[in-house]
Amino acid sequence: MNLFRRFLESRFFVLAVKEISQILRNKQLIFLLVFPPTIQLLIFGFALSPNVEHIKLGVMDYSNTPMSRELTAAMTANGVFDVKSRTIDETDLSNQVRRGDVTAGLVIPTDFNRSLHSDRPAEVQVLIDAVDANTAGIASGYATQIINQFGRQFTPEAVPPIQTEATILYNPGLVSSWFIVPGVIGLVLNLGSSLVSTSAVVREKDTGTLEQLLMTPAADWEIILAKVVPLFVLLLGEVMLALSVAHFIFQVPFRGSLPLFLFFSGLYACVGIGVGFLLATISRTQQQAILTSFFINLPLIQLSGAIAPVESMPKFFQILSLANPLRHYIKIARGVLLKGNGLDVLYPEAIALFCFAIALLYISTSKFRSQLN
Amino acid sequence: MKRILAQCKKELAQFRRDRLTLALAFILPTMTLFIFGFAIRLEAKNIVLIVQDFDRSNLSQAYTERLYATNQFVPVQWNGLDPVRDGIDRGLAKAAVIIPSKFSSDVQAGRTSTVQVLIDGTDVNNARVIKNSIQAFTKVFIQDQNLAQSQPKILPRIRLWFNPGRQESLYIVPGVFGVILAIYPSLLAALAMSREKEQGTILQTYASSISAAELLLGKCLAYFIVGIGQALFVIGLGCAVWRLGFAGDPTPLFVGGAIFLIASVMFGLFIGVRANNRSVAVQGVATAGFLLALLLSGFIYPLHNIPFPLSLVTNIVPARYFIEISRDAFVRGTGWSGVWLAPLLLAVLAFVLFSLSRRILGRMQLPG
Repeated sequence: MNLFRRFLESRFFVLAVKEISQILRNKQLIFLLVFPPTIQLLIFGFALSPNVEHIKLGVMDYSNTPMSRELTAAMTANGVFDVKSRTIDETDLSNQVRRGDVTAGLVIPTDFNRSLHSDRPAEVQVLIDAVDANTAGIASGYATQIINQFGRQFTPEAVPPIQTEATILYNPGLVSSWFIVPGVIGLVLNLGSSLVSTSAVVREKDTGTLEQLLMTPAADWEIILAKVVPLFVLLLGEVMLALSVAHFIFQVPFRGSLPLFLFFSGLYACVGIGVGFLLATISRTQQQAILTSFFINLPLIQLSGAIAPVESMPKFFQILSLANPLRHYIKIARGVLLKGNGLDVLYPEAIALFCFAIALLYISTSKFRSQLN
Repeated sequence: MKRILAQCKKELAQFRRDRLTLALAFILPTMTLFIFGFAIRLEAKNIVLIVQDFDRSNLSQAYTERLYATNQFVPVQWNGLDPVRDGIDRGLAKAAVIIPSKFSSDVQAGRTSTVQVLIDGTDVNNARVIKNSIQAFTKVFIQDQNLAQSQPKILPRIRLWFNPGRQESLYIVPGVFGVILAIYPSLLAALAMSREKEQGTILQTYASSISAAELLLGKCLAYFIVGIGQALFVIGLGCAVWRLGFAGDPTPLFVGGAIFLIASVMFGLFIGVRANNRSVAVQGVATAGFLLALLLSGFIYPLHNIPFPLSLVTNIVPARYFIEISRDAFVRGTGWSGVWLAPLLLAVLAFVLFSLSRRILGRMQLPG
């Protein structure tokens, strides 16, 4: 009881209350912590979808028999392809592909029906616009599968000798937002923490209240801690908000443990606060701080695996990205949310984040301290 | 006209004097070009794959060897009896292929043997790629080993147009040009506009005889010139590094690019007119520019994947139209007949942004 009262009367507590009320009064800051993250989550989650479906298909059916029409129907059966146009003019089809009106073309030859009932295999051509290499690869895979499947009904041996049975773990429906959203939680926490902590320090510099803080009898560790703790709490609130959006709007599963996730998020918030403090101490004005953070956050985000997976990057960038704390946090976020990983799996990332947090907080607070003195 | 030119000259002189901004104007785009151009690859190469062979026959070993010989997969050491799912759980492998114990005897006896494939579905796109390529590989393997008793009745012949080698850089780099030219010229323009507001110099122009339209056009011209510099620099560098060349008539790129730069600068001026200080302007351009140019322009994933209400927004994103033009110029090569609409729509967007900014500025203008 006594201890509790002493805590309430301590300088640290008073400073923290001052800091919290300052934050709460700063409408712009609260807005920055709530509005952009939500919008970012929504737009990223909805807009970034690698799904390859409803590919616009142009059909050139020279055969025009029930069989060829059945093949066309098979192509569109599960929504991978949509028939956009029919033509029997080759230049017309190629013009449509050139203009981007159709992404794929199916050419069924005149002798299609006859070949099906003879010994020779029937050949069908599939043209795919490969400007988008990724979509083209997946579309050609689908086209081959559908045509093979269709052809199988004409062969006596219905099932091939070797079959593959693919099981997709963690995200069996291949819902694209489940990949994107945990990454965006990382982006949101990264931007939020560096932005808020920068402006919390720079504002005091700009308005000159930093000098007043120096006059108080508080020790510098009290000043710094009083600054860090409220931000920390606020950022955890932001993470909870992001998690709710992920859960209620995108139905992203949460398979791991929530306390563990919050612990990691807290660790990353420390990293972000460290980056923000560092930026604030090395830049003289708010404008400079914001431009520098732009300069730093851009590569951090690009090399984090939030949008494009780290495994797909060239080796050099993969190694470079190991020095990026955000990459580790996003790996943790995906691991905890989708895979239900625990500390036994995620310890390398945990150690990395821990080192980043300690190093950044140490450097930034000692810089800040030297400015205070 | 004279006043527009004077405004433009003043703006360029100011721009030249500010070392930090000048450096930023060329360093940031270069950095973005390299990071985006190299690091955004959607399809993974060198996928770590565990093969757990319970059969250990010649056939199963041939299957394993040929699978790794596709150069798409990289083997990982795995103890034969440990559950492979642990490896995927721990992220040591992206996929696992499990060959059942009676694999070769079943196949030889004419029965079907089922190979289990476990795939890490966290990365949706690559999960799909892995699934397709293992299935396609198995098909080829059956043919090569003469295991199929009958020839397939239908042979699909797939022809890939424009980019037969499926190089991802051919898709990404022309898009990066669009993202860079959507963000940086507008960032500079927004900074220039909001600086006048922050430092109060805008009040002098309000009181002077220069009209809002002249002020905007002057600034626009200045940053249009800077933007052309950035465009030539970035596109030249990108073409040299990734060996891009014009696939067809380059005039749509020049005309469309110029209009796009105007639209991009106008967007920056619009943000600058709205923002009261530079940090808000930078944040505005950074947030709006990134969200729009990066996510709603078709830069990474095709536009038609964007669901309905959000897909409407893509229509007012200038970068979207430029990326169309740029991909056509460098990859498709259709020329005017394919992309004639895009420059027109860009011009409309530029004009709308101009009139909006003029109206906001004009409200403060003294009459006369």
